[in-house]
Amino acid sequence: MSPASLIPVADTLTAPNGWFQFFLMLTFPLHLFAMNAMLGAGLVAFISHLYPGRAYHELSHQLAKALPFLVAFTVNLGVAPLLFVNVIYGHLLYSSTVLMGLYWLAVIPILIVAYYLTYIYDFSFRKLGNLAMFVLLVVLALLLTVGFIFSNNMSMMIAPASWSRWFATPGGTLLNLADPTLMPRYLHIITGSLAVGGLFTALYSTTLLKSTPEVSEVGRKLGMQLFTWLTLLQLGVGTWFLLSLPKATMLRFMGGSPIATALLVIGVLLAVATLLTGFKQLVLPTVWLTLPLVYVMSFMRDVVRGNFLAPYFDPTTVPVQVQWSPLIFFLMTLALGIGLVAWMLVRLKNTKKAC
Amino acid sequence: MNYPVWFVPTFGGGLLIALVAIVHVFVSHFAVGGGLYLVMAERKAIKEKSQAIMDFVKKHTKFFMLLTMVFGGLTGVAIWFVISLIHPAATSLLIHTFVFGWAAEWVFFLVEIVALFVYFYAFGKMDDRTHQTIGWIYFGAAWMSLFLINGIIDFMLTPGTWISNSNFWSGFFNPTFWPSLFFRSFMSFMLAGCYGFLTATFLKDEAARHRMIRYSGVWALVSLILSVPAGWWYISVLPDKARSLVGGASPTIARATTVGAFSLAALAGLLITLILLNPKARIRSLIVIVMIAAMGYMGAFEWTREAARRPYVINEVMYSNGILKKEVERINQEGFLKNAKWVQHKEITEANRLEAGRELFLHQCFACHSVSGFNNDIVSRTKNMSYGAMRKYLATIHEKRYFMPPFVGNESELKALAAYLTAGLHKKPLADDGGAVGDRGTVLYEENCAACHSAESIKPKMKGWELAKIRAALDKLPALNPAMPDYNAPAPDKDAVAGYLFSLNNPGTDSSVKDQGATLYEENCAACHSLDQIKPKMAGWPKKKIRSALDKLSALNPAMPDYSGTAVEKDFLSDYLAKYTGGAQ
Repeated sequence: MSPASLIPVADTLTAPNGWFQFFLMLTFPLHLFAMNAMLGAGLVAFISHLYPGRAYHELSHQLAKALPFLVAFTVNLGVAPLLFVNVIYGHLLYSSTVLMGLYWLAVIPILIVAYYLTYIYDFSFRKLGNLAMFVLLVVLALLLTVGFIFSNNMSMMIAPASWSRWFATPGGTLLNLADPTLMPRYLHIITGSLAVGGLFTALYSTTLLKSTPEVSEVGRKLGMQLFTWLTLLQLGVGTWFLLSLPKATMLRFMGGSPIATALLVIGVLLAVATLLTGFKQLVLPTVWLTLPLVYVMSFMRDVVRGNFLAPYFDPTTVPVQVQWSPLIFFLMTLALGIGLVAWMLVRLKNTKKAC
Repeated sequence: MNYPVWFVPTFGGGLLIALVAIVHVFVSHFAVGGGLYLVMAERKAIKEKSQAIMDFVKKHTKFFMLLTMVFGGLTGVAIWFVISLIHPAATSLLIHTFVFGWAAEWVFFLVEIVALFVYFYAFGKMDDRTHQTIGWIYFGAAWMSLFLINGIIDFMLTPGTWISNSNFWSGFFNPTFWPSLFFRSFMSFMLAGCYGFLTATFLKDEAARHRMIRYSGVWALVSLILSVPAGWWYISVLPDKARSLVGGASPTIARATTVGAFSLAALAGLLITLILLNPKARIRSLIVIVMIAAMGYMGAFEWTREAARRPYVINEVMYSNGILKKEVERINQEGFLKNAKWVQHKEITEANRLEAGRELFLHQCFACHSVSGFNNDIVSRTKNMSYGAMRKYLATIHEKRYFMPPFVGNESELKALAAYLTAGLHKKPLADDGGAVGDRGTVLYEENCAACHSAESIKPKMKGWELAKIRAALDKLPALNPAMPDYNAPAPDKDAVAGYLFSLNNPGTDSSVKDQGATLYEENCAACHSLDQIKPKMAGWPKKKIRSALDKLSALNPAMPDYSGTAVEKDFLSDYLAKYTGGAQ
């Protein structure tokens, strides 16, 4: 059975494909930022438990307060890119989702448990004592599991050659473990996430925790150390991921395609630059370099996906029946939403000052 | 057919969707109503300068944050996950049609989260006016989520003119949009009121407790009363077929509506009594009952809405099994398997018939029927039917029982599915006799009644019934139970079924075959042949042979005139002869 014969027919788009690509590329890194901050804050809070001293303890406590927010925003900011992936690649994604249905659904209870544990960690921080550390450990393990499930689905949806296993195993228990790119892909994103998460902790410590200098200082130090060492490690993991890709795809990053190659070069340059600022513990310059770096990485990820799918799916062949008014409605809503959020945050800031 | 099927035999997908949806529906409506409740209660606290009420509101907010944001948010994502697993084709169609509606809903979800966080963490730290505005933003964003999702959900029940013009707004502002929006809004206020009602009883400050009990009670009661005309409006705009489903054409729906009505009545009665009675009384356990009743009321409504869509997942557009209505005719001609993506058997052969039938089951029936499981178990529902009866049943399944989708595919595919459902599931014989196995009454019973009533279950219900009474009942089945469809068949068929049913409790009489066949025999044959005479001549004749002999009697003996009866009469006569001449079956 040829893999292509299994690929469902894609439904008609209501706007030119480029719009969905644009929204996907715009919102996915936002999800990554929140997700990285969530994982990083969790890891730094956990590490802080291992150090003696009031400052570290207080750092854990302060990060505990941020964790529930970060989980909420990771989930919320994940909805938008997942929606646009559904539009562009839905026929592929739903197929792989059915193949691993049991694991895919497990994401929800895992997240609910992890989310409530972050609240327990926050609200009962003092009461928990040393137990707090283990609560965090469970949270981290759960969240990393969710990431692994996502890696499986995102890599299986671009590998129709693995789909015919469904005929023998239709119960939704298939993962993409035989795929040589799965592990490096997962480790690549986790290493990157924890690194950026470390940077977030440093930023959080140097801005919102300024009022307690010693806490702010340990947060900055721990966060930046995590960022630089993991980014250094990432150079290795990233190379492994690149080498694990099918040769044709890999070669596109090695000069075969000008865009792919440019992305890789810019990405490596930015990463090296963040290492320089990172080892000097310069928080803000590192943040300014990392923001475009995450965007570049997610563009590269999209190039990889396009290459994997090239033999099976050409997005330009999907029928389009344009209706502009819903798109305009969404853009207006987005502007209104951003305005309201900004207004509320300004008000909150003013309140804090007043206090 | 376009997508693989998540096959967990004991767990039909519908059950999973229902579980997640019910949880989410309660939490999300609660979140919407709660937004309004919070700001209104806060305003009351400010106006009355009551710190006790203010503390109450703050505590409420924390609960809202924990329940609605975590559980509400994640179960909302869960619905999306589950429907894309169980109904990928429908999810894809909805997402592609309403992507920007959903995207806008995501923006409001984001505003909602930020507003609730700010509202909670700035409690008592912000000036009242700004804090109230943040509360209003929270409620506004939550209600806009409802507004947007409401359009998409109601589209599935009443797509309206979208079917012809594919326009986003036609689908969104569909015929049930406004009544459903009003109904859902009042439902959400009612749930929030009920919750406030319950938590108010925990207030320590006695005066504040009584004030908040009365406040929440009135809140819930007014919302409840307003929801009744909105619900009525909603039902009145349902399309005829959906309304007749709600009205009782399907047993499960009828039950759900009854439950809904009962809880509504119970709830209203209790609420009124409670509020008229002294709020100083110990009423917590009563309020718990009120809450359960309120949820029952709402649950029944949701169940009804889901059920009224049957056999479609998107009314008049896509059947529950993901097949588009507009494609049925083409697929019937070309064959289903040829058009399906995730099947191994594209052509049916003698050797792969059962396997192909299993694939057809998976893609056309499993969306609603589990295999030996909890939800509409296919094994117990098919155990009374023979291969022949099943084939006839499948051919007209949608006409006989509107809420089941039609079988889609060609003749040999229909046979393969019938083979799987009988020989595959029950090891029944596959006699290719055009459907007539056993005597006529039994066959007709299997084809028309057995899907819902096994012979064992119907037997005690008809104990003591005369044949005439049974026969008369068959003329107006809905009078027995509004959920039963009319049995539209010629009188001789009804006679035969009546005879069969009568024979269940009166084994001595051998069903209608005797009555019908004996009469025909006496009228047409007995003048020349007594039964005793004819018996030895036909010893060992299979029924088939008797039946074909009746078609051409002059060939047996030129002296005999050809029998001029109808095919049905010939069937009766041959059944009768086969039985009473000792002919082989």
